[in-house]
Amino acid sequence: MKRANFLPLLLFVIFLIVSTGLVVLADPLPDNSSVSGTVKFTGVAPKGTRIDMSFDPNCAKTHPTPITTQEVVVGTGGGLENAVVYVSDGLSGKTFDPPAQPAVLEQKGCIYQPRVLALQANQKLDVKNDDATSHNIHPMPANNREWNKTQPPGVPIEESFAREEIAIPVKCNIHPWMRGYISVFKHPFFSVTDKEGAFELKNLPAGTYTLTAWHEKLGTQVQKVTVGAGETPKVNFVFKQ
Amino acid sequence: MRIHFASAGIAVLLASLACVPSSVGQQSHVGGLNGNPKHGEQLYQRYCIFCHGRYGDGRGESAPYLDPKPRDFTVATFKCRSTPSGSLPLDSDLFDTITRGVHASNMPSWKPLTRQERVDLVAYVKAFSPKFTEEKPAAAVQIPPEPPTSAESVKRGAELFQTMNCWACHGKEGRGNGPSAATLTDSKGNPITPFDLTSGTRLKCGDSDQGIFRDLTTGLDGTPMPSFTDAMKPDQMWDVVHYIASLRASSKKGAKLENTNQPNQTEKN
Amino acid sequence: MSVAVRTLRTVLVVALLWFSSTQSAHAIPAFARKYGLPCSACHQAWPMLNNFGQTFKDNGYQLGNDRDGPIYQQPAYWPIMFRTSTIWHRESNARRAIDSTPGVPSGGQVESSITTSGFDFSGLDIVAAGTLYNNISFFVQPFINNSGSTSINQSWMRFDRLLKTPWLNVKMGKFELDQPISQERSLILNNTGASYYNYFFTPPGDNNFFALGGIPLGVEVMGHSENDYTRYSVSVLSSNNGQPGLPTNSTYDVYANFTQGFELPGLGLQRGGAYAYFGQAPTFFQTNGGRPIAGTGTGNRNFSRVGAYGLWYFGKFDFSTFYLHGHNDVFLGNSVPSNQPGKLPVGAAGPSWNGGFVEAHYTYNPRLILIGKYELTRISKQANPGIPANAGNLDTWTFGYRWYPIMSPRAGLAWTQEFSHIVNAGAAPISGKDDISNSYLMGFDFDF
Repeated sequence: MKRANFLPLLLFVIFLIVSTGLVVLADPLPDNSSVSGTVKFTGVAPKGTRIDMSFDPNCAKTHPTPITTQEVVVGTGGGLENAVVYVSDGLSGKTFDPPAQPAVLEQKGCIYQPRVLALQANQKLDVKNDDATSHNIHPMPANNREWNKTQPPGVPIEESFAREEIAIPVKCNIHPWMRGYISVFKHPFFSVTDKEGAFELKNLPAGTYTLTAWHEKLGTQVQKVTVGAGETPKVNFVFKQ
Repeated sequence: MRIHFASAGIAVLLASLACVPSSVGQQSHVGGLNGNPKHGEQLYQRYCIFCHGRYGDGRGESAPYLDPKPRDFTVATFKCRSTPSGSLPLDSDLFDTITRGVHASNMPSWKPLTRQERVDLVAYVKAFSPKFTEEKPAAAVQIPPEPPTSAESVKRGAELFQTMNCWACHGKEGRGNGPSAATLTDSKGNPITPFDLTSGTRLKCGDSDQGIFRDLTTGLDGTPMPSFTDAMKPDQMWDVVHYIASLRASSKKGAKLENTNQPNQTEKN
Repeated sequence: MSVAVRTLRTVLVVALLWFSSTQSAHAIPAFARKYGLPCSACHQAWPMLNNFGQTFKDNGYQLGNDRDGPIYQQPAYWPIMFRTSTIWHRESNARRAIDSTPGVPSGGQVESSITTSGFDFSGLDIVAAGTLYNNISFFVQPFINNSGSTSINQSWMRFDRLLKTPWLNVKMGKFELDQPISQERSLILNNTGASYYNYFFTPPGDNNFFALGGIPLGVEVMGHSENDYTRYSVSVLSSNNGQPGLPTNSTYDVYANFTQGFELPGLGLQRGGAYAYFGQAPTFFQTNGGRPIAGTGTGNRNFSRVGAYGLWYFGKFDFSTFYLHGHNDVFLGNSVPSNQPGKLPVGAAGPSWNGGFVEAHYTYNPRLILIGKYELTRISKQANPGIPANAGNLDTWTFGYRWYPIMSPRAGLAWTQEFSHIVNAGAAPISGKDDISNSYLMGFDFDF
């Protein structure tokens, strides 16, 4: 009788050991660690040049005042927009499935919105044409397959990229001022800075990583960061002129 | 003295041969023939290497003086295909390009080579890019039967030429002088001009109505010319084809386009 | 042996030497510059053509890529090239007549071997060729021989693809006959081996110096299938052996040639063909004060040259084979004017002969080619019984190689070494034994 009472306890202990082991061995489960920070720009930002959209009236009428090129966009607090911050080292060996949710690239006002888009390899990319004119969407990758498709207003296009690449320039041959970038990653730890230059890499497993900040004109910068479980260290990048 | 010359000569010759990279070679199958990449390598060194380069990167000795530039095989992006935009070409596409040549460029028609030799070259050319081992080409695009041309079809085609923004590059009259034409570059950054649809020059990837339909469907990868497969239905594409045919017929040198009605026809001979 | 025969035999030898010093001209970097192709694209090993080059030539030196007309070229492009060679060579002849005592002609002659050697150079070929316009091609070739005298070797223009078909092309001017195995593109330079003797053969005692490998004046209609596998050519030529100024007479010769290519699986393209030349040559002239008046050749008698040839490719080996059957009329054969038949020797006949050659190449790669050739002629009927049965027969062997250290679309350079050996039956001037000559040549052959 006494021996029989040990059995459930034994089973429970075994269950604890096995489940802890599974937890240890499993792919990283969210443990509330993240890295965040800002990318700032010091110096005088180069001024954009005015874009002349007059040859296509459908584009010109979306901008009563002509817009300028947006290669280096610096916010009021010195924050650098449209920089991509991502983990470039430290995740060796781990694989990550792409999310089911597609990334969305819009053509609106005859410019790409967002200008810089980041997504995972094999994640669906939805390209939308919200303008009243046809565009052609033409990414020019070095490491992925190059394709080029015409997109009339409202017609959806779905694509994906199979390989990591930072970053793929995207252009529209019909409207030569249109310029965008698509960054493709094998993992989900990337972030495009917003108007304040802020970024956040969520759910990063504990470890030591190399972070890279990439900007289309200002180049790249690299920093190392160590993340403990549950920690949220801050990393800041500063690009100079 | 005589022997000295000869042996020195042979030594230099052997040294220069050693620099040529041997490649793993690829398979190629066209019309019942199988390509022999080793034989293709010999043919490449005789016929192709001066433009396309020792490493197939389009940087042969002649390349700086040619426009358009020779194809860079290492990138595996090809203009003239029967597969959708972004896909590798079929073996038969490469075979057809070698056979037809590329009109108005320095790529000659290699018809004087036997069919087996051309299939051998396809096998060797594929070996320059690892993409041919990593990926498979998509299925060939289907070209439906061509409806007969008519004034209405040409008119609809002219409207589509407008709404699809073809005129932005090809110009309102199709002369290749659209407002964006001067800004165009190919994917290597070299300036490229849109085709003058009113000229008598033959189209680069084949001159039939079927060929134009196919070009509209597949796009010309590596150039600004996109695929219209998401943008137009087949009937609409045929209207555009008929409009383009009318532009070409209007030129003094305009050649009659063949209407062979055979989709994806691999070039004879 | 009669003096006349001996003299004519000497003339034959001199004529052969003259023809062999004519530079074969046709490796044309100007085409390579125009299209960006290397020499090896058109030439098995320049100057010998491969199938791609033969097709290019038959299309009127056009690739058909919509960039053939001169308007598409850079203004600085000029369709001109030159070719020459700088060599060291050694010639030896086994049996030549020399004075017994040098400087004393009355002392009689003996037969002796003569050997000469030293540095030398060939003449200079200049070629301007290409297109005047889409589907109008031209070719002009002045030649300056190594003693400085100038001649025009070829000068012609051609309408290509008349009626928009490759089956109709018309050429007019001074041009080589349509022969896929061309004297003009021989790989061999030395005095003994450079000529295809069958193209120039004249039997002993004959005064018809017609040469199949010469450059006549006339009109050619030529056509070929789109892939150049089937080719035909018909020419009407003046009967003056290509000499300008109308020196002989007003008759015309006809030449026809037909070639068919076919593929042997695994071995490549083979070509076989047949040709026939029917001509007339005058046997005497009108005279003024005993001197012949140019252009008034009369007493025309017939001659013919017919035969077959082939170009066989087996991987890196290729063979050119050639057969000829020649016949000259009895008056031509005996150098007798046709209005004096009484002067014909007893038993006179029209001479006939057969001949041929096999030339083998091993193309190790586009920059190294090994060459071997064997050629022979055999008279089957001499012009008269007084001529020994084997007089005029010859056998010749050649071995050599050409190495191309550079090959670019701009210029070409070849290093060559060759050895040729010829046995001329009964040609020794005094003893009537065989005359044997050897030539050894090495040097650089270059063109720009």
